[in-house]
Amino acid sequence: MSSIIPTMRHVRGFDVARPLSIGVLVLMMLPLVFLPLSSIFIFGTSKGLASFWAALMAPEAVFALKLSMVTSFWATLFNVFFGLFAAYVLSKYNFWGRNALIVTISLPTAIPTAVAGFALLLLWGPYGILGRFLAPHGIQTMFTAGAIILANIFVTFPLAFGVIKPVFDTMSRSLEAASATIGATRVQTFWHVTLPSLRGAIVSGALLTFARAVGEFGSTILVSGNLAGRTQTAPLYIFAKFNEGQIEAANAIAIVLALFSFLIFSVLFFARDWLDVD
Amino acid sequence: MKAKQAMITEQPAMPDSNRSSPPVATRVIGISKRFGKTSVLENVNFDVAEGETLVLLGASGSGKTTILRIIAGLEQPYTGKVILHGKDVTELPARERGVGVIFQAYALFPKMNVERNIGYGLKIRRRKRKEVRETVQQLLELVQLQEHRKKYPSQLSGGQQQRVAIARTLAYKPEVLLFDEPFGALDAQTRVHLRREIKALLKKVNVPAIFITHDQEEALELGDRIAVINVGHIEQIGTPYEVYNNPATEYVATFLGAANLLPGVIRGDRIEVGSAVIRFSADAHKFRDGQAVTLVFRPEDVSLTSSGDVPAGHSCIANGIVEEKSFVGAYERVNVRIDLSDSGACETDDTPFYLTTETPESHSSKPIIATRPKAQEICRLGRGQSEARPRSSCTVPQLCHAPHNCGSNLNLSFKLAGA
Repeated sequence: MSSIIPTMRHVRGFDVARPLSIGVLVLMMLPLVFLPLSSIFIFGTSKGLASFWAALMAPEAVFALKLSMVTSFWATLFNVFFGLFAAYVLSKYNFWGRNALIVTISLPTAIPTAVAGFALLLLWGPYGILGRFLAPHGIQTMFTAGAIILANIFVTFPLAFGVIKPVFDTMSRSLEAASATIGATRVQTFWHVTLPSLRGAIVSGALLTFARAVGEFGSTILVSGNLAGRTQTAPLYIFAKFNEGQIEAANAIAIVLALFSFLIFSVLFFARDWLDVD
Repeated sequence: MKAKQAMITEQPAMPDSNRSSPPVATRVIGISKRFGKTSVLENVNFDVAEGETLVLLGASGSGKTTILRIIAGLEQPYTGKVILHGKDVTELPARERGVGVIFQAYALFPKMNVERNIGYGLKIRRRKRKEVRETVQQLLELVQLQEHRKKYPSQLSGGQQQRVAIARTLAYKPEVLLFDEPFGALDAQTRVHLRREIKALLKKVNVPAIFITHDQEEALELGDRIAVINVGHIEQIGTPYEVYNNPATEYVATFLGAANLLPGVIRGDRIEVGSAVIRFSADAHKFRDGQAVTLVFRPEDVSLTSSGDVPAGHSCIANGIVEEKSFVGAYERVNVRIDLSDSGACETDDTPFYLTTETPESHSSKPIIATRPKAQEICRLGRGQSEARPRSSCTVPQLCHAPHNCGSNLNLSFKLAGA
């Protein structure tokens, strides 16, 4: 009996466990990931590419895509700079309350996006804590593109920081000391020594932030007002068109967003070596 | 003369200050340093002459790295001054001092290739591109890394990285080179090889250098002078020969090289070590009659004999039992338990071992106990009887009547001459 089992598992050097486990893995992912994703493409292109293209080129759809890209761009720009600065301060200096700050920066990932949007409304909205003082002066922050950027910043706040900080922490302190003894100023050291080592982290942090911001829905729908052609981002457009029963219109944008995130994560995955080493 | 120098009293070493011929490149005056309430350095003084190599030798935690960091400007002293070529730089930040630091982990810039690492110091000094290129070329030739010029630090071996690190500091003509345990991360073979290379290189470029190490072999080989550091102060500064042969303190004697310590008492112009009496002639006035001293001698100065024939110029100290022998390559290390209470030991004819000492009247430089590899006989005895017999067969147990009060444990090694 005991002599049969090994021969079953290893048929002349062939490990049965290998194809078996790979097969199970793919089978499990099929209904969970592959099929939902492919149904977007199957459904969206079922009436031909022409109708897909027409749905995509609708003025509201183009506007929604553009708005998503622009607001995500500014949120990313801000968060990368902020993340870099925060990582620099928090890994270079040790001070009272340092850990509290690190936790606070990381907090927005744990907060439901609807709560984030709601919180922004309570602060900046016409009746909000700050907004009520701004409203009489005609300053309206909510229900604008600016509000979308604010929401994006909030929900993607820790992403770039989270990627950059560990690289900062593991970076040898003696590099900066070496640069100083060679005669470099702090600025020169940062520019020539520190920044090049962070390049990979900055790029991946930015891509992550951007991908996350483009797809943001929960907080955006609360603070933007979801006004078509004015404050409607791509995910909101999908939601609105779906509610109106215009499945093709929603589907065209869905395909674009899916391809977009697929592209970003391919870059992150396959350019890993380039991002890390040189 | 030499016998006296093996005598250790509690008095600290006088720093040798009468070294005036070459101009002083680096001077450290009265440096002390505290971290919080812990004092890590106390009143450290030394000079490094132009083109000289000084090694700071000490155990880990002795404060040697802190001295280096203070000279480099990476750390501020609590008191004292750092003077580089006559200029007080104590208040200057690291980048304005122009010192070259070679870090233990090299600290090469990982995103720059060899050329750009070496050229970095000139680049940030905004030198012309042509000048940078020429200097880099010269330095690449100097450290023999021409064919690796385009490689990144991660593609180089430890020794190559170290050479890049040195070239990188030489590029901007540093006032002094500071090596922070530069060979710590290398394997034994590369270490010895690179050590000699760097020594030759330093002589070529004639830049004063300060090395930090805890490796005595490294210190002896690299240093024009050695400063032995113990818990934040300098125990002794001197040439390797001086420090090894005339250690100023017990710490120096035991830290640098193996040393035997025996407690003794001064009796006129003699030292009593247990029952043994050793004569010493010179400088007897430095010691009081009855003063307790510690006798320090090197293992290679010990002679073992089993026949009772004391070599010329030697005097017998005590009987002993070989407790352990270990083969360490070039010589054999022998642990001998000696009996200092047995007054008649040296007169007995059938005793297999004598420890003998050179008397001060004789010519030679070695102070207390000299070498005579008579123990060969014993080993032959041991081997001849049976290969499988344990090494304890070399011992002669009847020598010591009461083994537990048999005096000090001697750590002896000797050369097997011609065997």
